[in-house]
Amino acid sequence: MTEVIATNQTILVVGGGISGMTAALEAAECGKNVVLVEKNSALGGRVSQLYRYFPKLCHPICGLEINQRRLKQNPRIRVLTMAEVTAIAGGEGDYTATVKLAPRFVNENCTACGECSKAVDSEVPDAFNYNLGKVKAAYLPNKMAYPQRYVIDPSIVGTPEGEKAKAACKYGAVDLDMQEETVQLKAGAVIWATGWKPYDAAKIQPYGYDRFSNVITSVEFERLADIHGPTKGKILRPSDGKEAKNIAFIQCAGSRDENHLRHCSRICCMASLKQTNYVREAYGDEGKSTIYYIDIRAIDRFEDFYAKVWNDPNVTFIKSKVAKAVQDEKTGDVVLHGVNTEGYHRYATPHDLVVLAVGMEPSVKGADLPAQIVSDSSGFIEADPANHAFFGAGCASSPLDVNRAVQSATASALRAIQVVNRVARVED
Amino acid sequence: MADMKVAAYICQGCGLGDRLDTKALAGVAKKEGKAAIVKEHEFLCNADGVKMIRDDIANEGVTHVMVGACSRRAKTEAFGFTDVCVSRANLREGVIWSQPETDEAQETTQEMAEDYIRMGCAEVKKMTLPAGDPAAVTERTLLVVGGGVSGMTAALEASRAGYQVVLVEKSGALGGWAAKLHKRTPGKSPYADPQETPVAAMVAAIEGDANIKVYLNAVTSKISGAPGRFEAEISTESGATTTEKAGGIVQATGFNLYDANNLPELGYGKSANVVDQAGLEALAKAAGGGAIKRPSDGGEVKRVVFVQCAGQRDDSGKHLPYCSGSCCLTSVKQAMYFKDANPDIDTVVIYQDLRMPGQGEDFYRSGQTKGVTFTKGKVSGVEAAGNQCKVSFQDLILNDQAQIDDADLVVLATGQVPVSGVDIDSKLKAEIAAAAGDNSLMEAYNASQQEGAVKPVSILNLTYRQGPDMPQLKYGFTDSHFICFPYETRRTGIYAAGPVRRPMDMAQAVEDATGATMKAIQAIENAGIGRAAHPRSGDLSYPIFRKEGCTQCKRCTVECPFGAIDEDEQRFPQFNQARCRRCGTCMGACPVRVISFENYSVETVGSQLKAVDVPDEFSEKPRILVLACENDAYPALDMAAMNRNVYSAFVRVIPVRCLGSVNTIWINDALSNGYDGVMMMGCKHGDDYQCHFVKGSELANIRMSKIGDTLKNMSLEEERVSTFEVAITDIERVPQLINDYAALIQKIGMSPMKGF
Amino acid sequence: MSENYRNNFLREVEEKVEEGHWVKMCMQCGVCAGSCPFGPHWAHPPQEIFMMIRAGKREEVLSSDSMWMCTSCYQCIVRCPRKLPITHIMHGLANYAYRLGLSPKKQPTQQFASMFWNNLAQAGRVNELKLSLGMYFKDGFAQGIKNAMAMQSVGLGMVKAKRLNPMELFAPHGVKDKSGFHAMLKKAREIEDRRKNLA
Repeated sequence: MTEVIATNQTILVVGGGISGMTAALEAAECGKNVVLVEKNSALGGRVSQLYRYFPKLCHPICGLEINQRRLKQNPRIRVLTMAEVTAIAGGEGDYTATVKLAPRFVNENCTACGECSKAVDSEVPDAFNYNLGKVKAAYLPNKMAYPQRYVIDPSIVGTPEGEKAKAACKYGAVDLDMQEETVQLKAGAVIWATGWKPYDAAKIQPYGYDRFSNVITSVEFERLADIHGPTKGKILRPSDGKEAKNIAFIQCAGSRDENHLRHCSRICCMASLKQTNYVREAYGDEGKSTIYYIDIRAIDRFEDFYAKVWNDPNVTFIKSKVAKAVQDEKTGDVVLHGVNTEGYHRYATPHDLVVLAVGMEPSVKGADLPAQIVSDSSGFIEADPANHAFFGAGCASSPLDVNRAVQSATASALRAIQVVNRVARVED
Repeated sequence: MADMKVAAYICQGCGLGDRLDTKALAGVAKKEGKAAIVKEHEFLCNADGVKMIRDDIANEGVTHVMVGACSRRAKTEAFGFTDVCVSRANLREGVIWSQPETDEAQETTQEMAEDYIRMGCAEVKKMTLPAGDPAAVTERTLLVVGGGVSGMTAALEASRAGYQVVLVEKSGALGGWAAKLHKRTPGKSPYADPQETPVAAMVAAIEGDANIKVYLNAVTSKISGAPGRFEAEISTESGATTTEKAGGIVQATGFNLYDANNLPELGYGKSANVVDQAGLEALAKAAGGGAIKRPSDGGEVKRVVFVQCAGQRDDSGKHLPYCSGSCCLTSVKQAMYFKDANPDIDTVVIYQDLRMPGQGEDFYRSGQTKGVTFTKGKVSGVEAAGNQCKVSFQDLILNDQAQIDDADLVVLATGQVPVSGVDIDSKLKAEIAAAAGDNSLMEAYNASQQEGAVKPVSILNLTYRQGPDMPQLKYGFTDSHFICFPYETRRTGIYAAGPVRRPMDMAQAVEDATGATMKAIQAIENAGIGRAAHPRSGDLSYPIFRKEGCTQCKRCTVECPFGAIDEDEQRFPQFNQARCRRCGTCMGACPVRVISFENYSVETVGSQLKAVDVPDEFSEKPRILVLACENDAYPALDMAAMNRNVYSAFVRVIPVRCLGSVNTIWINDALSNGYDGVMMMGCKHGDDYQCHFVKGSELANIRMSKIGDTLKNMSLEEERVSTFEVAITDIERVPQLINDYAALIQKIGMSPMKGF
Repeated sequence: MSENYRNNFLREVEEKVEEGHWVKMCMQCGVCAGSCPFGPHWAHPPQEIFMMIRAGKREEVLSSDSMWMCTSCYQCIVRCPRKLPITHIMHGLANYAYRLGLSPKKQPTQQFASMFWNNLAQAGRVNELKLSLGMYFKDGFAQGIKNAMAMQSVGLGMVKAKRLNPMELFAPHGVKDKSGFHAMLKKAREIEDRRKNLA
């Protein structure tokens, strides 16, 4: 049985991405006890799947390394991975959360030596790389994974493959009898930081994400550019592995659209501007980018970044919501059709690869939260007194860039501390 | 201090036992490492292995533990002993995973492992367990400078968490910019209409809060001390001065609107009917919900034109180059003032990009529903024509040169200029720009130094040696440069909040102020137990300074990226532990090596590099020292090893806290001990620096650029010391850099310094 | 006083054009313009027309033949991120322009629509033979003969298949209560005019 010590002075943080990690660390570094619950097998969330950040073009795993180090040395944070909060009962200063723990089939004896992975042959889709590639069915979630521990995919448990993994482990770390568990834990306050998911691009029918192999999403493009990605950082298009040197970015793919997401997802303009740098980094002057946009929302000091990309002769800006995409099955090129509204110019332009700047929606929408929580029309958690000591943080509360998500998470840590400090004052 | 007893533990798991002669390693630990206890274990990180170490600590009096197993980044739970000093010899990632598994490689692989055992033993012996700062104190009071919405939020949130607050506002009333507003943009669903500002409610809450002490008409005329023990002199207009103690500070000094007088081409100053956003708020307030009148003659307003990005997003160099991120929302709100009162009034917003992110889209839609019209265009001029104005613009959609010739009111969205005090680095920035061929900053700096020039007024008036205010980034904002760590500025315990750190709207400012307050409270708590703040959070070590040897060269005080070091009356450096981030830049800077940390010093690294067995000149086995930043370069090496990216067996890697902590004595020692080359791997520096200590890698680079003379004196080639910028993702590049460097060393030949 | 960028025309459209109150909601993304299969034939695509309305370009809009290009394929409505009923607005604008007598003369869609309406309004049923002949001969007698000859085989085929009765040319049949039908149309027109303030 997994034992978790928690009291009503404990802060429960749900979601182990950058927001959840930040909230947990800031609270713990202020002397509070925290339980951090993450659904995936490793912490880091969506930022660990990004190649670079805007506007500095630095690497997200650099900050992740620091946060992991802060976490490793902090005894006040208990991390539960492969864990989901299914219910939250009680109220401010006295919550009880029900947490479902999925079996990892690997215990803490794991040294991450990788012998189990070598032993098995079966492969499963590589979720870390948005299923663009495959991994062995005994795998380390990613190179930066924390906990640094392998996972046995449930599909090989009870098969000879599973037994192979078990036999390969000299340390008794593979435990195929692990069962799903449910634990209950107390908390004084809850920080809900489950982040965002990319909008389902297949729903934007005219762009053919579900039909055309060379139409991909912006999050997938991050994986193509990343050295830890399926192409080892080479920007190759899916249909034929050709170097994609002429790339289109379609903004508001799902966002600002009453048929899809009503809100503006805030990050996508900057993300595409950033991704034009990947094209330049890979192919120099041969790399051409075209951004199809409605408004470029490079707010505040990001304007500098926009100005720089604007002045790049290899990047073209077209004020237009693309009407449709058609992939030429012979050449693999994707032709975009639409009208440049600045002066009315019609276009039908072929590109090697089309990247949809997909919108953000909350991973867990308001109505699906395991408690009665006030949220807005898009499902983001609002700051509302009716939510008591249940605080949204990061992209669970609004579509935010990393910087603002961390600010939001830091703020939520204080709100939670206010509650547990009140509880402490009453109890002492 | 108790007697030192060193124990060395060598793991045989993860293939270490197969690839290495662990018995020989144990012999090295015993004989050369002088470890009192040496044990091998087939699986050191499991419960049994850890218990073995624990038992030795408990029963055998072991005080220093050397773990020869995996990287210091792995198995931290197992080997994270807090009651003894621990060093880690990285045999797994650092040796067997980065070396080829071939018979030919066996000899050099074993040599590498033996060296790491020597290094681990040498290092741990020079470490002492940080006991924490005995002088650590804290004051659970937050000082908030600035009484606008950001400052008031900080005060109220801190109070709610149980802290005392001193709130200093330079004007005669709380409220700041928000108090000038008729209404605010909505901060929550349904994002449809302008809302009452929170000012009245916040002021009432502050007045009723016994934890919050407010000073109006007051400034912080002097702040000294450090987190946990700041002392602020608060001077009021009347001339009275009070001293308040505080543990942490939030600076929420807000912004001024960009001066519209700089925009005569947009009619400001030429017609009373051209106003900025503040001017429109004043008109709306004066109208008190009734019809807003035309300023020039009190006439009826029938048409209002909003000019977005007035003096913003400017590429001419005359105005603000950035976007203020909030003016689109404000203009829509202001257009609603008219539409809500009388739908027959025409309101046109002329914009280039309408920037209303997130749920701002709802507010945009609401504006449209109310009949506010939007035109994508670029305004070229506004001229007065009697009681009306002519607005000329390029309609970018219709591709027309267009004109509106009967606007009753023109509102210029001019943007935010931070109130951030003195730019303490202005001279340095000017020098850097001048070196790059841009003299404009230097001219501005020189002009500001002229007699009679208007000098910027300091806000915080810190007594810090490095200057009276927070360091500023581009355009005067006091933001942090880190994306993951927005609050990590270069002044520990002092946090900027609201538009002083980045242009923002009210909703963001509230969130930001709450976050900044969180950090300030954390700084207060950490100061009380002498614990380091980010990124070495939890570290109890601090710089220990041996005054006798100090030559008062001031390098440490100048170079400390965090302004932690002042000077005492005798001009000796005065360390402020609670301001320190433990990067070791002072230690790296010190020419006489009088600065050290208990767990990291000139000795802990120096002894490691000296412990390496350097083969003679004829062995064809060069030795290359790699000093790798523990934040990025070292993890990159680990991950390269996980990918089995092989690199030269001749390198010996020592992680350092920051390249800034590298003392040149290490380079000298390495070279005089016969190393053939030294590679220094640090983070990117320059405008988009990635150094976690802001200046460390840059300083190291400057220091190393001066090492040429030393090399010349030793008759060594320049290439023998090289600095590299490395990112954490360089898992293929770093091995390549190492191999290329090893090849280069091979080409220039073995060092002649061996065997001395 | 210049009408440039005044909202007068926008208000007129809101009041008098079918679904005209949606025009202000357009955010100029242009997806309608790009989605229209007849796009290349438009002088001003819908998004531009909306902008022109806001810019007060009344004559240019109402005399434009653009809205007459709409074939009601509904691509624009389906894709519009603001859910503007663009098809209906286009028809509304065309109808409004026609009523004001501002629509372009000799615009084929408009000619066909008038002919169709007049044909239908007479007897309450469409007389297909008269309608097609009317279309053939709309550009003069010689052209009419040419058109009719070209379509000869289709016409004969339809007669054979009893899909076309030549007698309809001489004895058209209609609804039973013609006067009632005409009264109904009149009433409908009155109601609509009142609704759109066109009376």
